[in-house]
Amino acid sequence: MPDRYNPQVIDHLVRPRNVGELEGASGTGESGDASCGDVARFTVRIAENRVEGVRYKVYGCAACIAAGSALSELVSDASLLDAARVSGVDLEEALGGPLPAGKEHALTLVLDALHKAIEDHWNREAGEMLVEGYGGLRAGTGGKKTVVVATSGGVDSAVTALLMKEAGYEVACVTFRLHDGERGSRSCCSPDTVLFARDTAHRMGLPHFTLNLKELFDRRVMEDFVGSYAEGRTPNPCVSCNAHVKFHAASFLADKLGFERVATGHYARVVEEPEGATMARPVDEAKDQTYVLWPVPRELLARTIFPLGEHRKEEVRRIAEDRGLAVAYTPESQDICFIPDGDYRGFVRKSVAAEPGEIVDREGRALGRHKGVVDFTVGQRRGIGVAAPTPLYVTEVRPKTGQVVVGKKADLETREVRVGGLNWFLPPERAGSVQIRYNGRPVPCEMEHAEGGEVVAHLGAPVFGVAPGQSAVFYDGDKVVGGGVVRRDT
Amino acid sequence: MTDGSVYLDHAATTPLDRRVLEAMLPHLGGAAAGGNPSSLHGAGAGAREAVEAARAEVAALVGARPAEIFFTSGGTEGDNLAVLGLAAARRGKRHVVVSAVEHAAVRGAAAHLESRGYDVTRLGVDADGRVSPDALADALRQDTALVAVMWANNEVGTVQPVAELAGLCEERGVPFHADAVQAAGRLPIDVSRVPVSTLAVSSHKLYGPQGVGALYVREGVEVAPIVFGGGQEGGLRSGTENVAGIVGFGAAARLASEEMGYRARHEEGLRELLLRGALALPGVRLNGHRSERLSNNVHLCVDGVEAESLVLFLDALGYAVGSGSACASSSAGHKASPVLLAMGRGEDEAFSAVRVTVGKDSTRGEVEGFLGAFSAAVSQLRELSPLYASS
Repeated sequence: MPDRYNPQVIDHLVRPRNVGELEGASGTGESGDASCGDVARFTVRIAENRVEGVRYKVYGCAACIAAGSALSELVSDASLLDAARVSGVDLEEALGGPLPAGKEHALTLVLDALHKAIEDHWNREAGEMLVEGYGGLRAGTGGKKTVVVATSGGVDSAVTALLMKEAGYEVACVTFRLHDGERGSRSCCSPDTVLFARDTAHRMGLPHFTLNLKELFDRRVMEDFVGSYAEGRTPNPCVSCNAHVKFHAASFLADKLGFERVATGHYARVVEEPEGATMARPVDEAKDQTYVLWPVPRELLARTIFPLGEHRKEEVRRIAEDRGLAVAYTPESQDICFIPDGDYRGFVRKSVAAEPGEIVDREGRALGRHKGVVDFTVGQRRGIGVAAPTPLYVTEVRPKTGQVVVGKKADLETREVRVGGLNWFLPPERAGSVQIRYNGRPVPCEMEHAEGGEVVAHLGAPVFGVAPGQSAVFYDGDKVVGGGVVRRDT
Repeated sequence: MTDGSVYLDHAATTPLDRRVLEAMLPHLGGAAAGGNPSSLHGAGAGAREAVEAARAEVAALVGARPAEIFFTSGGTEGDNLAVLGLAAARRGKRHVVVSAVEHAAVRGAAAHLESRGYDVTRLGVDADGRVSPDALADALRQDTALVAVMWANNEVGTVQPVAELAGLCEERGVPFHADAVQAAGRLPIDVSRVPVSTLAVSSHKLYGPQGVGALYVREGVEVAPIVFGGGQEGGLRSGTENVAGIVGFGAAARLASEEMGYRARHEEGLRELLLRGALALPGVRLNGHRSERLSNNVHLCVDGVEAESLVLFLDALGYAVGSGSACASSSAGHKASPVLLAMGRGEDEAFSAVRVTVGKDSTRGEVEGFLGAFSAAVSQLRELSPLYASS
């Protein structure tokens, strides 16, 4: 690596191109911080997916100024897809070769500012759609082999993009900003994750976009998460996200780009049944994510591809290694993405005032006090704080009266479950089994229709610790018949 | 200096004076070349004589006796020898006081002692970069091994009240080291009047060659060596002497002594011209003390402009100046100047600092040309800056 700048850098420094701010810009993006010594701002005017105009400003070292100038030249009058594909390596080439050691951050900085400007353009285009939810659902199964892949910077989504590319698709990657995750945290979707996902896409030669879905995510996922605890329900934020956020946003972008399909790195399959597109369990049973994917609307499922459904996780890692993807060694993300420390009770307590209440047995006898219903969920054994000869379990949470009901393990046994908020891929009659826990086993069931379009599932074997708010997903063999949310009473 | 550009970075290094070069040449390849001063033969004796003559010239520059001058490889070695050597010679004293604005050579040596278990007190400075004698008095302890405060600051040019600080240490019986690398040859230094214990100087800051310097050690002050070997330089700095370099340093010291008054007046005139021109631009401020400053130093914060880009821009226009705060080559990005931060400036200001230092051979025309280039560079970079709104 050189320790001095190339003449091209000095040329861009002294004669920077496209300096200023655009009037009537369709997007503005800024990256960096004065106290770090570098700030870059891009304004773009995008029409019909072309960069019609671009202007930039930089406060920072010569590398940043030159990189901004070179980037503005590269994307000026380019198609939006080509602009979103420009990588740090492309920029370095335009600047005559590698920058001096320690200056590579300049490339990241100006690319981030440009990408934020494009992100701003999408968010302005979307208006309320990415706040209220995108309603323009269409199957998008026309002839063109084009696909938007949702990438998170992890190995699964990167391999998804790669497989789609290798299958002959024109691929555009998109990463969603869902919440203000902590910088550098190991969970997904933190700011560094966006940079990593972008870099990964660029290394594959793919365009990369970001969409800011924080309001939508807050409204559809986080508020529901907090509210569920306060109401004594057990929420599943991944389910809410799949129901309202991720697939809708990817489809929005696909429609804007004129792309047909949408793909994610979920472990599930889409199969054609006479009734239409249906979801099925993946090849790798241990990674099966159908339990959280049941609410994806059928129109969206019809345009969705889950390429990892045909692969085992070990194969996916091997593909990443073989193709030299830097993501191959990233750890599995396990936690709820917006609670990187895993302390979801603490998270809920920040938003909901916890009121103390009574711990009672099934006959209503007071056994002790607790500090708030948010600390309890059905099936819980630890931290109840009541001494008893046999282990006590939470069997019910009654937020209205502030009561937590405890009992023996046998009291948790359920033989029928009422399910609402249903989403069907196949006729309900085909349901032969139901799964009520993420890692649970499906149990045989018989379906009975109930009022309000809900169903009651009669279980062929008892299930322990069924909590309102959990998902109940119905299967016919390995096909997902449909799913819904467990209601309080049967 | 060689590419025809105007050199205004004399605080970094100065061009070798032609007269110094001529004094050195016989020792590089001419008749007097080749002897080891430690050898018994004639060639050795000739080299020895030349080294001793240079020692006398350097001694005269700072008012010392020749026996109190020890040649080193430069300012950094002199500072290290003083700080580490004074500490090592005082067993049982485990406390060191340095100012917060010292050159990296002193800061680094003090940090090294800290890693070996010493207590280090770093004296803060006022907004002009000056150390307060009262603060020093408060910092001294029974177990203080040494105090180091520079004579004049290499970045912002502020001159310290060294006489007062050294006097205080003398009263308390604590050795006092002064880094006089920037001051020597520019300000009158007289160790017979100012009670410093040790003083570091460097050749290439006063038009001598690079790679040679000296440490003054007052007679009777004990300094332990940090380099061991053949016992040269009174056992304080082993290693065969850099004869040609030392001869050049001697010549440079003699010229500095003779021309100091003229040089200082000349530089001051250019400095004031520079200051007036630069401060006439909006959003440009002087760093360091207005009057207690080096004759050749102008140090500026330029709002809305990052130092490295300004320095390279000026370089492209043919003017070589220093950035006040080097952009560190680490992936962590910039490192703000600890000197400016110690003076209470914010990081954004510290990133916007440039240092313009004239020399004895700088001209009015050069300074005027520079001011034009500076104004053009600043306004273009500000136009580029998302942080600077011209009002």
